This record gives sequence, structure tokens and C-alpha cells, in this order.
Amino acid sequence: MNKYLYDGTPEGLVSAIAAILDSGENPEKTVLSVRQDTLFEEGLFLRTDSALAEALFERLRQRAPDAVQTLWYFTMAEADGLETSLLRYVALAFEHGDRVNGYLTHASVKAIVGTARKAGRELHRMKGLLRFEQLRDGTWLARMEPDCNVLHPLARHFSRRLRGQQWFIYDVRRRSAAHWNGRDLSFGTLEQFSRPELSEEEKAVRQMWQSFFKTIAIPERKNPRLQKSNMPAKYWKYLTEKQGE
Amino acid sequence: MELQEKITILSGAARYDASCASSGCSNDTPRRGMGNTSQGGICHSWADDGRCISLLKILLSNDCRYDCAYCVNRSSNPVPRASFTAREVVDLTMEFYRRNYIEGLFLSSAVNVSPDHTMEAMVRVAEILRNEERFGGYIHLKIIPGSSPELVRRAGLAADRISVNIELPSSESLKRLAPQKSKEAILAPMKLIGAEAGASLAERRKSRNAPRFAPAGQSTQMIIGASPETDLQILRLSQGLYSRMNLKRVYYSAFVPVNSDNRLPVLSAPPLLREHRLYQADWLLRFYGFSAEEILSDDAPNLDESFDPKTAWALRNPAFFPVEINRADYATLLRVPGIGVTSARRIIAARRFAPISPEGMKKIGVVMKRAKYFITCSGRPFEIIDQQPARLRQRLLLGDGSEAKLPRQLVLPGLG
Ligand code: SF4
Repeated sequence: MNKYLYDGTPEGLVSAIAAILDSGENPEKTVLSVRQDTLFEEGLFLRTDSALAEALFERLRQRAPDAVQTLWYFTMAEADGLETSLLRYVALAFEHGDRVNGYLTHASVKAIVGTARKAGRELHRMKGLLRFEQLRDGTWLARMEPDCNVLHPLARHFSRRLRGQQWFIYDVRRRSAAHWNGRDLSFGTLEQFSRPELSEEEKAVRQMWQSFFKTIAIPERKNPRLQKSNMPAKYWKYLTEKQGE
Repeated sequence: MELQEKITILSGAARYDASCASSGCSNDTPRRGMGNTSQGGICHSWADDGRCISLLKILLSNDCRYDCAYCVNRSSNPVPRASFTAREVVDLTMEFYRRNYIEGLFLSSAVNVSPDHTMEAMVRVAEILRNEERFGGYIHLKIIPGSSPELVRRAGLAADRISVNIELPSSESLKRLAPQKSKEAILAPMKLIGAEAGASLAERRKSRNAPRFAPAGQSTQMIIGASPETDLQILRLSQGLYSRMNLKRVYYSAFVPVNSDNRLPVLSAPPLLREHRLYQADWLLRFYGFSAEEILSDDAPNLDESFDPKTAWALRNPAFFPVEINRADYATLLRVPGIGVTSARRIIAARRFAPISPEGMKKIGVVMKRAKYFITCSGRPFEIIDQQPARLRQRLLLGDGSEAKLPRQLVLPGLG
């Protein structure tokens, strides 16, 4: 096995993969990981080279656009320790094109595609579970703590759906926020956050939604287990209908 | 009356599947490939009964003139009555949509005054939403049997989906349990919707600005277990609705006994397992290339309680198996119990690279519990395949081949 190390940044990862692929090394016999602060380094350190990283992306986009899409979801999952799988996945994507995502019998493909799917599922879920509250000044706020970093695609989704409202989406875990002013979308981080006051109307609407939620279930078919498996309790914190239960 | 109270009455009245509000809600998540909605259906919450909440599902009124035996809202029931104004429903929909509680509105109503009077009020809600509020979300309108063609047309132009409930699987049952609704009053609007949707599609091929008519298609729904029809009769009906009426979906809802009435069967609980089996069989009709006659026969006209319909078919057709997963085509793979559309596609995608081994099957995520009895991998069987159907039945039931979680059921599966 050949061992390589990189600096732990996303860009460094792509650039390291590019360097290894260019070197003609056999990816199936190569291991890539983050450089640790230990006395004895095992492996050759590859310096980050943005031009190299960019060139790799460009080539991959031409050769296997679906694989680029998969990579994008994969990054949202913020998974650790899958560098070697990623290296092999990218190599296979160059070899087979978009068909690579069907090669699930290959352990690396399975790991990357599986992780990407997890992020895709959570993004889809948040499109439904995100809740906006109306603030005093008429703007809207939605808070969330997803496992994956879905803020960007989620905000784009709502910039189409709720285009007539001005809103913020705040990822509490990552302290990052998206803002839609009715025309443009912008992203930033918030170090300090306290929830502003809600509008008068907000309370009344919440109550109506809570009544609806309660009465729409058929009592004869009550099934809390099914409810929980479809809507895990980790998402309840910001769900209007689950407040005060 | 307070708005809050109206919501409680009119969503409570909408939850029972055996009423004008019915639809197998759990599956009725809007899907459309246009505008600002995403490809797959979005669920916004899951109610305490575990069903997905995607739409504000509510009645405009529960003040019914009719007296259908199976319905909570029937005129002879002493329940509190309420009606919304059009504005109230519009505002509620908009407020909920702005907060991302819902994808849109699913509006139905009891027959208040007359079918046309009620239908007109419902259509107005949809028209105000579209024209005054510029609402781009999803709208599903129920068509009241007996409403005029003009109102059906207006409904189709404002809504994404419109549906007429077929209610019961035969016209005799309809006569007995819903005497004020006639088969004609139900079928006429269904046919009209089919024709209008077809015409709109043809127009839109010529001009992209031609109006859309119910772009998400037409669905219907029937109550299971309130009347004596067999599953074969029900599946034949669905098959006809799919092939001749071009319906997108048929929903089945287990009869929830809410009234005591000597025309109704006495059930200890809603027939949920039967409903579940019918949905499975319906999938086989729509996506797996099965016909109703392959699934059931006049000798065995009801779905097996112990096995899903595909496994039951496989047990009756041992000559079809084993299926060689490295060679079989897509349609053949789909006939294997435990292999669904996703698994079949994955098998075909993966075997392009190399023949799939038994471990490979697990890696690509095929659930082997049932499949392993019916397949070979490059000629090698997974299990010693027992050609004796009786013994295979037993193994599937006793071993790990049965389904992990069945919905609450009325009858425990007995050994067949
Ligand atoms: S028409 Fe029949 S099913 Fe519809 S609300 Fe009235 S009584 Fe119920």
C-alpha cells in the first residue's frame, strides 16, 4: 500500500486526489488520510494546490456529471475517514462515467453513494419539516439542527417556494444562516443569536395548526411508533405541532 | 363560532376515510414536475396515527343533506355542524403555507344544500387562491357527485388534482349504503375529467399557453370492508379504472366503523391488513406488470393474509423459479418476492461491472429474507431450494422470510 496524507481541508482533499491520479498510482492500492500531529508521519504529505483541484473537478464534470452531483451531496454529510473511498470512487468515475453509481458491489462506491444518499434524504426531509415563524417586524425565521450541512440547497428551495416573503434560515448547530430579501439569497454566520419576538398573529396561527394536527389523526389508528420512525424525535425541537406536548 | 372550533370540527370530520373527505392520505403527497414544487412528494409532518401530513385536509362543511350509512357526517347523526366561509379557508391555507406547514390544500365537503351549491363554493376557494392570492402550491378538490359539468371544468382548471370518490366497489353496495348517490352521478364526472384532461394535453402540445386541466391527474378512493365484495372484484375494478379511465391512483381505505347501522358489518377493528394487501396488489398492477387475474382467481378471490401478493403468486408458480439474477431481464427480476423496482434496477446496474455474488447482493442493498428462496447467483442457489410449495410456505412463515412488521391485524396469520 502507498500512503498519502493531506491537510484536512476539502480543497486539500480534492487536490490530493488529483495528484495521486496524475501520478499513475493504482488507487485500489493507495490509502489517503488527514495528516495528524504526531511525531512519526506515515506517508507522503501532498501540498494543497487549488489549480490542480479545480482542474480535476472540471474534468470530472465533463466525464461524469452524476458523480459530481454525488460528491456534492457527499460533502454535505461531513463524513470523516472516507478519503480513501473517495479517491477510489473518483478513479472509478473517470473509468466508467456516470455508470459508476451503479457499481454498488464495490465497497468504496457503496460508502460514497450511501453517504451521499443520507444527505439527500435529510435535505428532502428538511424541505418538509422546516418551520417558519413570523417575527414582529414581519420577517420570517426558521431554525434547524440537521445532521448534514443542507443549508445551501435548502435555502435555494425556499427562495423559489416562499419568494414573496423575507426570511432567515438558521442552522443552530453550525451557526450559519441564509437570508432571502425577496430578491437575492445571501449566506453568513451568526456568532450571537437570540430569537427575536414573534408577531401577534403568530400565536393564533400556531394554535390553529396545533388543533389541526391533533384532530387530523384517526384515534382508532393511533401509532406513535410509526410516527417516530417517519419523523425521528431529533427533529421535534423546532416543530410547531410538537411544542408543549 | 370561533375559527379554532370550526377547524376542530371540520378537520375531525375530514380524517375518517369513510366520508366525503376520504383519500388514502398517507400516499397522497403531491408530486409534480413543474413550478416550485420538488419532484418527490414532500411530507410536512406525521400525525399521531403515523400518516403523513402534506396538505391541509379539511371539509368546507360537514352539514350534510345525505345519509350515507358509513359516514360520520350523515344527516341522521347528532354531531356538531360547522361550515367555513371561502375566505376562512383561503386565509388558513395561506397562513399554513407561509410557515411551511403544508404543501397545499385538500378540500372536500359534505353535501350542503345541493351538489352544485357545494361544488360552486369549493371551486371559489380554489379560484380565490389562484387568482387573488397568486397561490402556487398544490390544490386537490374533491368533486361532489352530481355536480354540473361546468363546475367540474372550473375545478379542473384551478386545481392540480381533482377526484371523484367511487365510494364502494359495486353499484349494489352503493344503492344499499349510499342511496342518494348514483353510479351515474359518480361515473359521469370521472369520464368528463378524463376527456378534459386528454383535450388539455392535446392543446398543450400545440401551444404551451393552453390551460392545464388537473395536471396531477385524477384519483379515486373506495371503502374496504363496509360491503361484501371480494378482493378480486375490487382489483378488477381498479384495473379497469387504470386502463380505461386513465386514473393516476386508486386509494383503498379500511372501513372505520363510526356508526351503528344494521346495513353495516360489525367489525372489532378496521381491516388494516386487508387494506395493506390491497395496496401491495395495486402496486403489482401499476408497476410490476401483473394483472388482477394473475393475482387472484375465482377459486381464491381474496388476498392471502399470511403472504404479500407477490410471494403468494410465487408460491403458486414454482415453475417460474429459480430466477438467475445475473441473467434475468428486468421484468423477470421484478417477479421475485422481495425484489422491488429499486433492487431490480440496482442489480442490473451492478452486474454490468461483474457478476453479482451472494455477498454482492447484500452490498447493493437487496433484502434477501424472501428473495433467497427464489433465486440463483451464477447458477448457485442461496438456499437449498425446496420445490415443495408446502414446505416452502412453512419456511417463509416460520423462518425469517415473513414480513418484519405487519400493520395491526385482525386475524393472526395461520399456517397455510
Ligand atoms: S355525502 Fe355521504 S359520505 Fe359525503 S359527507 Fe354526506 S353522508 Fe358523508
